[in-house]
Amino acid sequence: MSTRSVPVSAYRIVAGILTFVLAVPGTILYLASYFWGAWLLAGACAAYLADRVLELGRPAFFSLVRSALRRSAMPAIGIVAALLLGAAIMLATGYNPLSSYKALFYGGLVRGWSVSVLNATPLLFTGLAVAFAFQGGFFNIGAQGQYFIGVMTATWIGLALKLPGIVEIPLIFVAAAFVGAATNAIPAILKVKTGAHEVVTTMMFAYAISTLSPVFIRAFGGDPSHSMHPYASDTLPEAAWLPTFKSFLPEANYRLHIGIILAIACAVLVRFILRSTSLGFKVRAVGNNPMAAKTQGISIPRITAASLLISGALAAAAGATQVLGLDHRMYQDLGAGYGWNGISIALLARNNPIAIIFTSLLWGLLDSGGRYMAMTTRTPNSIIEIVKSIILFLLLAEMLYQRIGLSLRAAFSRLRRGSDARTGIEKEIGS
Amino acid sequence: MKVSGAVPPVLETRGVTKRFGRIVANHDISIRLEKGEIIALLGENGAGKSTLMNVLFGLYRPSSGSILIDGEEVSFASPREAIAKGLGMVHQHFMLVPTLTVTQNIILGDEPVILGHVLYRAARRRVVELSERYGLHVDPDARLEDLSVGLQQRVEILKALYREARVLILDEPTAVLTPLEVEELFSVLRRLAEGGTSIIIITHKLEEVMSLSSRVYVLRRGELVGERRTSETDAAELANFMVGRDVVLSVERGEAVAAPEPILRLEAVSVRGARGIPALRGLSLGVGPGEILGIAGVEGNGQAELCDLVVGLARPDSGRIVFHGRDISALSLKRRMEAGIGYVPQDRRGSGLVLPFSVEENLALGSCEGPPLCRRGFLDFRALRENALRLMEDYDIRGAGPEVSVSTLSGGNQQKVILAREFSRKPDFLLVAQPTRGLDVGAIEYVYRRILQLKAGGTAILLISMELEEIFALSDRIAVLHGGELAFEAPTSRTNEIEVGEHMIRGRTDRRAS
Repeated sequence: MSTRSVPVSAYRIVAGILTFVLAVPGTILYLASYFWGAWLLAGACAAYLADRVLELGRPAFFSLVRSALRRSAMPAIGIVAALLLGAAIMLATGYNPLSSYKALFYGGLVRGWSVSVLNATPLLFTGLAVAFAFQGGFFNIGAQGQYFIGVMTATWIGLALKLPGIVEIPLIFVAAAFVGAATNAIPAILKVKTGAHEVVTTMMFAYAISTLSPVFIRAFGGDPSHSMHPYASDTLPEAAWLPTFKSFLPEANYRLHIGIILAIACAVLVRFILRSTSLGFKVRAVGNNPMAAKTQGISIPRITAASLLISGALAAAAGATQVLGLDHRMYQDLGAGYGWNGISIALLARNNPIAIIFTSLLWGLLDSGGRYMAMTTRTPNSIIEIVKSIILFLLLAEMLYQRIGLSLRAAFSRLRRGSDARTGIEKEIGS
Repeated sequence: MKVSGAVPPVLETRGVTKRFGRIVANHDISIRLEKGEIIALLGENGAGKSTLMNVLFGLYRPSSGSILIDGEEVSFASPREAIAKGLGMVHQHFMLVPTLTVTQNIILGDEPVILGHVLYRAARRRVVELSERYGLHVDPDARLEDLSVGLQQRVEILKALYREARVLILDEPTAVLTPLEVEELFSVLRRLAEGGTSIIIITHKLEEVMSLSSRVYVLRRGELVGERRTSETDAAELANFMVGRDVVLSVERGEAVAAPEPILRLEAVSVRGARGIPALRGLSLGVGPGEILGIAGVEGNGQAELCDLVVGLARPDSGRIVFHGRDISALSLKRRMEAGIGYVPQDRRGSGLVLPFSVEENLALGSCEGPPLCRRGFLDFRALRENALRLMEDYDIRGAGPEVSVSTLSGGNQQKVILAREFSRKPDFLLVAQPTRGLDVGAIEYVYRRILQLKAGGTAILLISMELEEIFALSDRIAVLHGGELAFEAPTSRTNEIEVGEHMIRGRTDRRAS
């Protein structure tokens, strides 16, 4: 293994560089609706796959591909089945599924792609937040609260400090992440000291924080006696706004900000932390078998705290990105679902940070495409909410099946019975 | 037992083959089970016993061959159909709901219902009647989690009988039982067989085969390698069949050098267990370098608490734990590990391994802080891989590469992963609990050899086991734990199984003298 011949490693270095050089601009171009970026992405994929083939050798590579396909088969089937069920609902209620879905995907993927990307940005962060806690075996159901804390922190610092953007924006992100982590410190301490379940504590925090928002907005400009926007704070100075794609790609949508790139970078970072660091290793060990982790000297309280704090920081980053990139102020009750939807996105991606990039984009495009569909075909948007729920329902059902091994085996034997249906019919004819 | 040509066997397989892709798990297996007969299916781990039972029970469909019940060919699409035909299975890992009562567990999935209302009282009456008829005494209203493992197993058997099972399949029924519970189970099974129930027990324990079954089938690598009447064979022949070579189970122990100073010492240690009941009462013992102290005892006499205490998962209420002359009672588990205390836990899947993790990750568990496997908080993947390859070679871990999840390994190889991890840290003191539970003969021999090797290197070893044979095979000194107290202690050469067994059951007999 270690005595790899020189040419192969040289090829691998070339393939590695090529992957990176093609993937970064390809992603940026595609996200900015320059759809020819897809060619660069395809090239990057080819280079990446070539690199993996060189690294693993053909048989190992193909078995890896097969297992990856097997793992993504269920989510894919779930999504297709949910769309079909959605079509059935449309038929039953008198809408045309073909033209509706055409509008959905045209709206989500082409016409309103920039809106899809904008929708996906905070979801990607909150999805990562929930997934990180899940990897450690904790259910951070209150990402919504940490999201709001991030929004408030960003608004507050953005309004209070007048610094150049290059200093202020990173400062705001760090501060928001810190405050988000601090928010989760209390549930973490309660969990470690008293065993109070994080589902209850983080959820209660989420509600407590959301009631703070009118107070906060009132303090920063939302005064109904002399404000145009009683439900929004003052606008942040432009120096604190995140740069837009338009500043370097003239045809990009003017609202599209670079938050999505930060979010994708975060996903890569989270994957790196989980896979390649000692901390991530311990988080996964505790998440998979706390008893074995404990018996091997891994401190459960410390890992509990680490995964909940990092989770809180990621959810707060979602809020900061939304304020600095899109809203530029804090709205009351706006973006109410980002925290909750993060749970769906993490579940759909099986807590895999890279998969979360795609599931959050899927959620984003269903939202924006759904709105476009409602506008152009009069098919109600709520059908898309139903489709989203069905996707989740099917995937959760499948996960429950896996938990209960026997049920899964029974399901398989039922499938097999399906493939043996012919013999069954023959028997019936015979008798 | 019955030799009647006219009556077809209750259960028969003809040339059953089961393939998973290219792997042949069962090849051309033909067995037969008469009414009221107890047969044993013997084989090492991974010999294909469980696959065969799953085929019988409708969980798998045979690739070829047929299954006959009462001489009639059947084909099960699911366990439900197998149950309907009178098959009942008692799994190694019980399929019971801990928070429900005994009756609720028994009727679960087959409740007598009228208009959506469960006839609980009628069901309870039937459960009571069944348990009386077969002598399977258990409180029908007790919550399952309050029952001992042996009683839980009884509930599983009752569950099968409630569904009118004529054939009872028990998968490794004694793996989790204490010796006393094993005896009770065996008498229950004998009574059932006398009443006409046919029984298959799947096992790899030779003594059980000899004492319980009338016939035995031996499986090796998916093939039937032997069929014997139990009365016409002996343990040595069966062991030979099982592993395909002669096994010497008695290991050369070597004499311990009389130790001047124990490496680890417990001084009058007391601790409360669950529900505040004293679990250990003033326990004092010591283990010297190059010595194995075997703790015998019936399960639940303080062994679990002793383990937790020694490794640092619990703190003593009173008394001291002294390691290398230093009081470590207040040290954390991690500090104790670093100081040189190793631990092979009893529950290897529950607290020994992270099952979804790969072999190399499990081998790195607990060493993920610093060099050589970690650098500045980052995992060194190459070091991880090299460490795994080296240990897999040294400890003969077979069945998978270092990147494969340990959940796919056999029990013996899983245990080897744990041994490799603990032993490679070169501990000064090692606590081993039930190191061979659920392992086959070949793996047991290997584990014994490694433990003795470690001892020869000067490690002090505390062995906790419910199996007397194991205690006698390995220990230099034997102590008996009874009711949280040390009931007896003697060098192995100066005691015997009868004396130790006596103390296991009766506790201290010299109470007046002490």
